[in-house]
Amino acid sequence: MNIHATFFDNHQRATVEAAMARIIPSDDTPGAREARTVDFVDRYLSGIDYIYALPDGSGFEQLEGRRAAAWQQRVDLARSKYVAGIAELDRLCLEQHRAQFVHLDEHEQDEMLRRIERAGTPEAERAWRDTPAIAYGGPVEPALQQTNAEADMDFFNLLVTHTRQGFLADPIYGGNRDQLGWQVIGFPGPASLAEVHAGRYNTLDFFADNRVHRGQEDNHDRQA
Amino acid sequence: MTGKPDRVDAVIIGAGASGAAAAKVLTERGLRVVALEKGPWRTKESFGGDELANVNRYNLWPDPILNPRTSRTSPEVAAEVDPFCPVPQMVGGGTVHWQGWLPRFTPNDFRLRTVAGDLAGTTLADWPITYEELEPYYDAVEWAFGVSGQAGANHFEGPRRRGYPCPPMPQSRYAEKFHDGCAKLGWNSFPTPQAALSQPFNGRPATVVSAFAQQHGDPTGTRSSALNVFIPDAVATGRYELRPESYVRELVLDDRGRIKAAVYEDAAGVMFEQEADVFLLACGAVETARLMLMSTSARFPGGLANGNDLVGRNVTFHEYSASVATFDDPIYAWAGGGYVSASSFQFYEHDASRGFVSGGHIAAAGVGIPLPINWGLPGKPTWGVEAKQVDRDYFNHSMAVAMVLHDMPQHDNRVDLDDTVVDAWGLPVARITLIPHENDLAQGRFLVDRCGEILEAAGGKDVTKVYAEKVTGNCSHQHGTARMGDDPDTSVTDRHCRTHEVDNLFIVDGSPFPTATGANPTLTIMANAWRVAEFIVTSKGNR
Ligand SMILES: Cc1cc2nc3c(=O)[nH]c(=O)nc-3n(C[C@H](O)[C@H](O)[C@H](O)COP(=O)(O)OP(=O)(O)OC[C@H]3O[C@@H](n4cnc5c(N)ncnc54)[C@H](O)[C@@H]3O)c2cc1C
Repeated sequence: MNIHATFFDNHQRATVEAAMARIIPSDDTPGAREARTVDFVDRYLSGIDYIYALPDGSGFEQLEGRRAAAWQQRVDLARSKYVAGIAELDRLCLEQHRAQFVHLDEHEQDEMLRRIERAGTPEAERAWRDTPAIAYGGPVEPALQQTNAEADMDFFNLLVTHTRQGFLADPIYGGNRDQLGWQVIGFPGPASLAEVHAGRYNTLDFFADNRVHRGQEDNHDRQA
Repeated sequence: MTGKPDRVDAVIIGAGASGAAAAKVLTERGLRVVALEKGPWRTKESFGGDELANVNRYNLWPDPILNPRTSRTSPEVAAEVDPFCPVPQMVGGGTVHWQGWLPRFTPNDFRLRTVAGDLAGTTLADWPITYEELEPYYDAVEWAFGVSGQAGANHFEGPRRRGYPCPPMPQSRYAEKFHDGCAKLGWNSFPTPQAALSQPFNGRPATVVSAFAQQHGDPTGTRSSALNVFIPDAVATGRYELRPESYVRELVLDDRGRIKAAVYEDAAGVMFEQEADVFLLACGAVETARLMLMSTSARFPGGLANGNDLVGRNVTFHEYSASVATFDDPIYAWAGGGYVSASSFQFYEHDASRGFVSGGHIAAAGVGIPLPINWGLPGKPTWGVEAKQVDRDYFNHSMAVAMVLHDMPQHDNRVDLDDTVVDAWGLPVARITLIPHENDLAQGRFLVDRCGEILEAAGGKDVTKVYAEKVTGNCSHQHGTARMGDDPDTSVTDRHCRTHEVDNLFIVDGSPFPTATGANPTLTIMANAWRVAEFIVTSKGNR
């Protein structure tokens, strides 16, 4: 297993790392940079060898057949979006500031990211015009049950999504180094995938009452 | 070349909630059964606590590249590819990665047309069966599963012959807030009946209460699912042959117009014809309709048992939407996966004074999937300094009160076959055409407002209401595509879920449900499958 598998060249990597550092900035707590979210996405784009960790954390699943083909297609699409997206971001930065994204200051970087975000969708554009406060980051519908369809995302949304994933996914995927992301938001995650797999990870300590439901004592077996 | 395995008593297509329930009953009553299941037979060792894989990377969800669907809001417009109402395709079906809220329907659910009258633009209908007829099977499923709940706590529930096998699950903080809010408002609330064991039951250990539950398979095998309960029961009889990775493409007829065989493709692409006396469709209401529509013949040019063009019509999906709030004290809504909940049926029954028909189940939950990656507050930024602050301030301090929308059946809301898009096997995919009825929207607004009131009464701040403005299939609940009824002109199956036109074809998933009701459907789907399976055994004995 090549745990250093990568996709980006040095410039692409630096650009993505800098952009991710604006998406989850470092302040009094660690951000995307410290959690190494760029490692997460670089590994994701390296191919299809790191799509699914084995559930006991002992390695990664080897995909075959139709599943492998679907993932190859998805990764290829994401790669092309990153390559084109980084180039376009630099083009806009050169046009506006005569410098590539990595050479801008944080303020300028935020402004350029907001610009590609607005270019993303007509809804984002409209929301930005109508209510700039909400459009900062784009109005989100909460994902209630379904997963997001990564294939439909443009470069910017992909970048935001992957930053969040790299910050908060299990560390086995290359980001969330030392569980920094979980510590920042206050999630006492399992020590490792193996803990969950073995049934040792239990969240009852975070319940209101880890013994009984209110009222259950008096009428649990009551016949209606 | 086509393989021809030995003929058996019954073939069940699909090994999810309904197919597994039917398999247990048929095999335990002595029938030899072959189950043909499109997806893999995964064991608990293949499941884990991995949010990225399970929620974001289709580890269990159907991969939309391989299994696309399309949807549109009018027959006039082109349908777009959309993973509409996905449900895992594997042994255990949608029960593999659920948390299993298992409320019963109420007696009035079976006669809503009588209770509420006609509603223009809908095909509202009474069920041909009653709550009383189904009650023994509710009881059977609850006791087979070991459902954890509190009998009598839901004041709107129908009569039950006995209590739940296990006491309710421990109380989460989000459930506690829900009870508090309801108590302050004077509304009835109860611990949500759950497909989990609050204590050891029937030789199984108590359920491990992990955060990786909803949308995750269960590595401990301690939750109650078709995979953990019904499949092992059926296997234990020695009369159940479950063939995973067997994708049924068509049902073919004999010269008397009965089903002769199910034609399926295995993982290697080899075709087989499996013959049997009776055939049970258990693919979920969308895929069952699709398979029927793909099974055309001289006798049924418009699809199997579809002489009246009702297969695929009247489809209902519910919709899941919520009010969301933040709290000063921690809620830890990820504890237990966000769905070890409390519920209310206070606004479930029809009340004409509200100006719309029927109502729905309201319950406490985490916001979306309340795990680190997929948590997020509606209307809040998704990146930058402010977004990070929102994560830190509210990840542990937010919850939702959600509702299950009882959407109305409409003749033109339907599943049919897409004319251009095919799946990875080259077969036409299901196309959903759906426009919500005004009643759906009005009911949804009303219920989400009540959800918000519960949060406010419980001390929630910053209450945000997310109204269901459209039906997106986000509940993964499906019903109605082969409605049951006594009149062959207005229904696809009879009261025994046997198709009117083909007498050895039964449908045991949600397809026969004439109405969606406002409650999570799967307890009723499994109870009904149990009922139908018993009918098959009994009527076979009489032949
Ligand atoms: C995340 C999630 C949470 C849920 N939570 C709840 C809940 O709390 N309460 C509740 O009541 N419901 C819940 N549900 C819904 C529940 O899963 C479904 O209602 C239930 O699984 C439906 O049972 P079924 O037997 O109709 O179909 P399924 O369980 O979907 O099983 C159908 C099976 O048929 C197979 N199949 C389809 N087509 C073919 C074919 N052509 N050939 C062979 N096999 C085929 C599929 O692969 C699948 O395995 C949830 C669903 C999801 C996804």
